[in-house]
Amino acid sequence: MPDVSRRSFLKATAWIAGGITIAFSARSIKEKSVSVGPTLEFPNADSGKGWLQVRPDGKVHMLCPRMEMGQNANTGLAQIVAEELNIRVQDITLHYPTTSETAPIGFTAGSLSMMLFSKPVAIAAASMRENLRCRAAKINKISVDEVIDTEGGFVILGSPRIGYQDLVTDESIELDFENSVIPTLYTFDPRRIKKQVGQEAEPRGIKDLVTGAPVFSGDIQLPGMLYGRVIKPPVRKARLKKLNFSTVQNIIGFFDIVRDGDFVGVVCRTPGSLDKVVRSVIIEWELPEPINQEKINQLLDINVALQRGDLPSTLQDENHNPIANWDVDLEFAVQLQTHAMQEPRAAVAHIEKINDIERINIWTGTQDPWAIKRHCADDIGFREDQVEVHPMRMGGGFGGREHYEVEQDAARLALATGLPIKVQWTREDEFRVARNRSPSSHRMRLACDHKGVLSNWWHAYASGYVFYSRSRLPDWLLPFKRSTAGGDFGVSRGAHPAYKSPSIRVEYKEVDLPIDLGVWRSLNGAPNTFVIESTMDELARQKSIDPVRFKLMNIPDSMARLGNCLKRVETIANRKSLPTKSGYGRGFACGVYEKNSFVAVSVDLHIDHEARKICIDRMCCAQDVGMAINPDQLRAQIESNLVWSIGMALMEKVEIGDGQIASNNFHNYMIPRMSDIPSLDIDIIDNPAIHPSGAGEVALIAGSPAIANAIRDATGLRLTRLPIKYTDITALGSL
Amino acid sequence: MVSLLERISDLIFNKPNMNLFVNGTERVVTGVWEEETLLSVLREYFGLIGTRFGCGKGLCGSCTVHVDGEPVRSCITPINNIAGTSVLTIEGLQQDNEKLHPLQQAWIDERVPQCGYCHSGQIMQAWGLLSKTRNPTEEQINTFMDSILCRCGTYDRIKKAILRAAVILQQSSDINA
Ligand code: FES
Ligand code: FES
Repeated sequence: MPDVSRRSFLKATAWIAGGITIAFSARSIKEKSVSVGPTLEFPNADSGKGWLQVRPDGKVHMLCPRMEMGQNANTGLAQIVAEELNIRVQDITLHYPTTSETAPIGFTAGSLSMMLFSKPVAIAAASMRENLRCRAAKINKISVDEVIDTEGGFVILGSPRIGYQDLVTDESIELDFENSVIPTLYTFDPRRIKKQVGQEAEPRGIKDLVTGAPVFSGDIQLPGMLYGRVIKPPVRKARLKKLNFSTVQNIIGFFDIVRDGDFVGVVCRTPGSLDKVVRSVIIEWELPEPINQEKINQLLDINVALQRGDLPSTLQDENHNPIANWDVDLEFAVQLQTHAMQEPRAAVAHIEKINDIERINIWTGTQDPWAIKRHCADDIGFREDQVEVHPMRMGGGFGGREHYEVEQDAARLALATGLPIKVQWTREDEFRVARNRSPSSHRMRLACDHKGVLSNWWHAYASGYVFYSRSRLPDWLLPFKRSTAGGDFGVSRGAHPAYKSPSIRVEYKEVDLPIDLGVWRSLNGAPNTFVIESTMDELARQKSIDPVRFKLMNIPDSMARLGNCLKRVETIANRKSLPTKSGYGRGFACGVYEKNSFVAVSVDLHIDHEARKICIDRMCCAQDVGMAINPDQLRAQIESNLVWSIGMALMEKVEIGDGQIASNNFHNYMIPRMSDIPSLDIDIIDNPAIHPSGAGEVALIAGSPAIANAIRDATGLRLTRLPIKYTDITALGSL
Repeated sequence: MVSLLERISDLIFNKPNMNLFVNGTERVVTGVWEEETLLSVLREYFGLIGTRFGCGKGLCGSCTVHVDGEPVRSCITPINNIAGTSVLTIEGLQQDNEKLHPLQQAWIDERVPQCGYCHSGQIMQAWGLLSKTRNPTEEQINTFMDSILCRCGTYDRIKKAILRAAVILQQSSDINA
């Protein structure tokens, strides 16, 4: 570990000239980090203290602990700081640290930002405020109770207003209050009328995005920089069988070929010459294992798995009765899906020598800069303090940017050539290398009594690994993790039912699929909720009970927030009536993400036989993730999730061709477009007394089953294989 | 603007460099860069990195710029096909130093961007629409914008921002009239 103490950090950067910083608590961040896997140093109550500063001009500066990829978490955290310090969020200056400027901070993923960072940030800002209050009291020789909050400072009866600048000097002071009591947190005080939290703050940096400012890693330009690309095999761990680059020397712009075992890199003077050189390299690979759709289907077949007896992992098992009188018994197939973030990954690497010591600088958009630093050091034989990662904004993440990959390409080529190198993955590279969301195969059986009260629940499914899929961990560690970690919680995400049933079994089988898999928005939350909500809807319809009533009847009291979302979305949906013509349908679905985020979605759609299309006309959503720090950004996340749910339900599927992934660009992996987007009615249920939970992947879970349920309503058909196509409806003979 | 005659004479006399106008300024492309796409020249040669790379095959629209007033996909436009033309990029959209272009302002007012990667292309495509159709219907917006992908799914706000900018443009042209 590099020796970065808060003090040296303060000196090394322009972070402080004077003023008050809160002392860095060495205790708060573990000294030793995990060398494989993600960075897990998440904050405790003290951690936020190193991230705030009041400068002599009274201005507040904040160090952003989150990586930006569109969720605008740092804006939300700045709103908290503003609330605590009685200032405006736009008056806070944000700083984005490199990996050398601060100790490791846990990776940005799983919608954890508000959940884990809001309180530490609030504590730091409130402590800062109370310290300033004490100073004001001391200067004026009065008691602290007489120092009253006002915007950007305090007032004392009969004296002029005191601004923060009047309380801070050029002398640099660090506040150390590790053992002091936590002051009142305005953010979490439900009685307080808030001025910043709960407001629709403008996302920081938005102007850069509409003016085309350099914010992404591919935007970095260094003098003498060349363009590099590593030729990607069709699957990881393929062995180089044949390589012939005899013709590349004559291509204008060619610079060098870097070869090391199965690693083949090309370096050129322009991006275009790079394309030409790569095209003219003749390369053949030996694949470790053939991949084709049929093989994957066989490996996942849930009925074959169930014939062999109980599945290896059980999530819930109470009073299970396998021979219950099942009212519905459905099989589902969920497709392989990819992130397809708009920005194909890019990195720039540059090695420089200062005082005879080599150092590598890497600019990259990543969810985990500290992991990149560790892995890079290990990969190129540097010490960690010789590696500095400059995190850039990500053009979309969705779980797909946690690994040392494009950075490896850039670092190795920079090391081999001694020159600054930019590696911009092509879209084809991105498709080839992506660690996709696993396909899964489910069988779900339900029974209820004549009133519609659930009596038996049995959900069995097979899915590829999520966290412990191939090459997400080193080969020596993977089997150990798979056998000892107590199940891959990516696989089981979303499989816990929100409904109560006296007899219940949820079991699953993790399958080692020969394709690259990993973390995707909501993990298996969306597939599992699709299955559960489709089956619940089907049972209600078979019993001739209104699906919303049926679900509300079976939601336990402990899930009242879920029931509330469902009722709310029904009310919103009912504000507009559905055309009574045939081919129109309305569907509902709801779900819980990670215990504390609740959502319900409704969908109105129609089947357009002329255009041969399933047309979504309207989607409504009610979501409760506790306190709404920035309702506008919560709404933005919901919009995004609803669009993704359309992609999941109706469009997206990674095709597998002969021996490799066949989808390689946007013509053979379709994602939603503007004309696919319906009118949206979104309601945020604000619960100021409840700590905020994640919102980045919530509405997605309920969106796709609501679409399937609306199709059922419109056509009478229960479609259980994603994505659902117009031809699935005609094939099954809907009227 | 380089005339056709000048272009022909350039060919005959084998003029080594290639010129074009970028955001109103004449720029020269030389040597190995003459073999590149417009996107590559803009980003890597001129350093105008506001135009983004998304797919390289004309499929996503992130790289959209205007050539002689028409939106084109710079990733599939060879630079030597457009000698002498006028190119407008996101960096050149703002005419007034003090004020953003109405589309850029509308994008901020509607808080459109999430990751933000697609929006240079979205805004340039939207300008391709609004510069000709001052008062577009929702249907026209859908059709014109349909080929510009946004993986974050900001489409609803893009539509609202275009309608908002249309109103602003309408008002300013009323004032000017
Ligand atoms: S990058 Fe040009 S259309 Fe996608
Ligand atoms: S905002 Fe991320 S792709 Fe459009």
